[in-house]
Amino acid sequence: MTDQWVTFSNFGDAALVRLTGEIDLANAGDIGRAIVNRVNEAGKVLIDLTTVSFLDSAGVRLLDALVGDLLVHGTRTRLVVGERGAARMTLQLCAFREDILTTDLERAAADLK
Amino acid sequence: MTQELRLPWDDDPDDLYEHAPCGYLTTLPDGTIVKVNQTFLAWTGYTRGELVGHRRFRDLLSSGGQIYHETHYAPLLRMQDEVNELAFDVVCSDKTTLPTLVNSVLARGPAKEPRAIRTTVFNATDRRSYEQELLAARKRAEDSERRIQVLQQIVADLAAAPTEAEVAEAVVRAPEPAFGAASSSIYLVDADRDLIIAVASTDPTTGNWDDMPRSSKRAVARVAERGDLHVVGSVGEARQHFPDLVDNMRRSGRNTVVLLPLTTGPTDENTGTETLGVLAFSFTGERKLSDAELRVVRLLGQQAGQALDRARLYDDGRRREERAAFLAETTRCLDEMHRLNPRARRLIDRVVPEIADWAVLSLSIGNGIHEEAGGSPPDADLLAQAQHRATVASVPSFPPPGDPLGCVVLPLTARGRVLGTLSVRMAPDRRGAAAERAFLIDLADRAGLALENARLYEQERETARTLQRSLLAADLPKGDIRFAVDTHYQAAGLDLEVGGDWFDAFLINKDRLVVAVGDVVGRGIDAATTMGQLRSAIRALAGDAVGPARLLQGLDRFVERVETARMATVAYAEVDLNTGELTYACAGHLPPLLQAPLGLPEFLLQARSAPLGSRAGDTRRTEHRLRLPPGSRLLLYTDGLIERRTRPIDQGFEVLSREFARRRDAPLPGLTAGLADLLVGRDHADDVCLLCLSLGSEERIERSLGADRQQIALLRADLRAWLVAHGIEPECRDAVLLACSEAVANAIEHGYRDDPFGVIDVVATVTGDAVEVRVADKGTWRGASTDVARGRGLQLIRESMDQVLFDRSSGTTVIMRRSLEAQ
Repeated sequence: MTDQWVTFSNFGDAALVRLTGEIDLANAGDIGRAIVNRVNEAGKVLIDLTTVSFLDSAGVRLLDALVGDLLVHGTRTRLVVGERGAARMTLQLCAFREDILTTDLERAAADLK
Repeated sequence: MTQELRLPWDDDPDDLYEHAPCGYLTTLPDGTIVKVNQTFLAWTGYTRGELVGHRRFRDLLSSGGQIYHETHYAPLLRMQDEVNELAFDVVCSDKTTLPTLVNSVLARGPAKEPRAIRTTVFNATDRRSYEQELLAARKRAEDSERRIQVLQQIVADLAAAPTEAEVAEAVVRAPEPAFGAASSSIYLVDADRDLIIAVASTDPTTGNWDDMPRSSKRAVARVAERGDLHVVGSVGEARQHFPDLVDNMRRSGRNTVVLLPLTTGPTDENTGTETLGVLAFSFTGERKLSDAELRVVRLLGQQAGQALDRARLYDDGRRREERAAFLAETTRCLDEMHRLNPRARRLIDRVVPEIADWAVLSLSIGNGIHEEAGGSPPDADLLAQAQHRATVASVPSFPPPGDPLGCVVLPLTARGRVLGTLSVRMAPDRRGAAAERAFLIDLADRAGLALENARLYEQERETARTLQRSLLAADLPKGDIRFAVDTHYQAAGLDLEVGGDWFDAFLINKDRLVVAVGDVVGRGIDAATTMGQLRSAIRALAGDAVGPARLLQGLDRFVERVETARMATVAYAEVDLNTGELTYACAGHLPPLLQAPLGLPEFLLQARSAPLGSRAGDTRRTEHRLRLPPGSRLLLYTDGLIERRTRPIDQGFEVLSREFARRRDAPLPGLTAGLADLLVGRDHADDVCLLCLSLGSEERIERSLGADRQQIALLRADLRAWLVAHGIEPECRDAVLLACSEAVANAIEHGYRDDPFGVIDVVATVTGDAVEVRVADKGTWRGASTDVARGRGLQLIRESMDQVLFDRSSGTTVIMRRSLEAQ
């Protein structure tokens, strides 16, 4: 149901969650549930937002809750967003935690080593 | 006293007086008897002593006689001194009466004073009985005449009775005046159903009132079978011959019953006569019918039988005529409706209530068609079984008497295929079952054919529509900020077939756009196919160095090979998207309408020539050029838009021109649909095609969306394309998209939290230096939001836009502005 927006794979020893397309009020809830079901057991999680073309406050809420939960469980997490683009703009406007944002996947994976 | 001659034989005058062959009375003037002879005493049984000196003559008369004595006898006697042959009934001593004729003479004294009355009394017994005999004979003659009159009246009534029911009504009224019967009933034979049916009675409380089979043991059925008159003279006779009558006779106090078969055919022999009914009439008291009466009764039976026969023939004839008229009218009615569903409904409406009290039409076409009318449908399972049997066997099923389903199921077939069934329940008392069956089978044949034709029509119509839709829906060029196209196609109303109107827009190269609208002669699948061929031909013929005039010449050659396209009309235009130069030509088509940014709209009347392949018209093809300033709109349309039966065509042009001008600043999307809505009535008989080309893109975008999260993405797609077309920088574009999404999400989550049907209006405009977006809802405002998530949404709106204004005077309107200057 959410396959068009979210795919799961591994990058090195980290679970990779790749989001794509427009994330908004209409699909954020479903996407959140799909991710939680898959990354429960992972020790490290990379969330790739580089192909997200739109992100609204519901998307920010999803990421906020997701990252918060992962950190509480001691799961190390990085968000990958482009240097510019809709996702970065929204996250910046919301003053999202800069320390877990990276601009490419390699660097994010390296951060979690 | 005079001296009497002495007779030669010994005849004593006293003895002569006493034993004369008449009675003698002598009375005083007051009537007191003073002398009476033996003859009178012997006739009356009185003794002389009882009368003489004790009684007056009038005392001996009956009471009527006494009155007559006072009013006639006494006055006449006093005036004339005598009266002759007055009839008096004398009351004898044993109270019997003696009819007499009386002569009296009044004797007067010297002073003319009355002294005595001498009376002779003649016995008139024999004469009176003879008179009575005469009277009785006269009464018999009168009775007979009355019967004849009643019979004549009935024969006249029967001749004027056109239906069985009226014949029965006339016959049942006969026995009472004609024979003095107490009541009578009439039964008719229904040969088709092998029944005898009670139809009328002067006293329905008597007799057994149920229908009976012709083979019944009941008296009525027996008499109907034998065809002979039966007189049941007494209850005893009934017990012996027709036991079923006994109870009824006892209960209703009848002692004589006459059972008269109503027959038709040769009168003098029983063979060959047919019994059509039975008239039963009864008498209180045992009544013996005379031979004369029995002859009249038989005559009545024959007259009534013939009248029934006549009425039946007449009934049958009229029924056949009605049926034929019904079938013809049904066929005509069904032909009026082309489409399947209305035709099916109309069939059922014809059948109920005219020939049936309930009917259902079930067709296995498409998703199935079910049309029903009338009350209290029969058992659904039984009906389904009968329908299945009739469909599989393709044979109509007529219910046998007493069948619990009680309705006829007719398979509807056409071209060897069973389309479905028509089930009808008819009134139970219909006669002539064989004719009825033939009629129903005829009805089913006609209905089957009419419905099959409607099905084919529906199929062809659907094919034509699909073809036309697929052709018209082909991708039109878009996404180029230099132009935008809005189109509208409206099919003909009144369930008419698709027409041959079409539009097209395509790019010859990246800077040259073609727009065209045309109209193919004819309707239906042929017109749709031709339209497709013509469109393809235009796309194939159009080229960088061709131009409208040469293209139309190419089309003229084309229609020489595709005859159905002959006389098609086309308005064809090419636009250079860089310079705005328009080149156009019209082959028999209505002139395009141009609205420049300034001034009034103008019909483009140059470069006109005859329709494609016209033999009589001017087919020298020319073209005309003019430059369109940015912001111009060009409208191409077909004649259905302005031709209206109730409006002259020049007025149509005027209205179109005025309305097009009025919408100069209206957004392009929906413009053509709006024009069609306004100019074309709901019942338009022609299809309509419009294409509006706008050079330079629209300044504003307006959208209305429902309070549904899924719609936000659709709005964003439109808004994104519009922002791109206006060359808005990506950063600004993303910010506007984010703010607008959040504002709409706010309206859905907040303003319309209790109203899933709320509508949100979004308007975005680009002015010289800024983008402005308004998002308005009619929802309710709950004061400052405590929802953290929504709070973040509002924060995002404020962060991404330069100015944000909330207007809560009616619902909530968010007005947001972002400057085009780099931030």
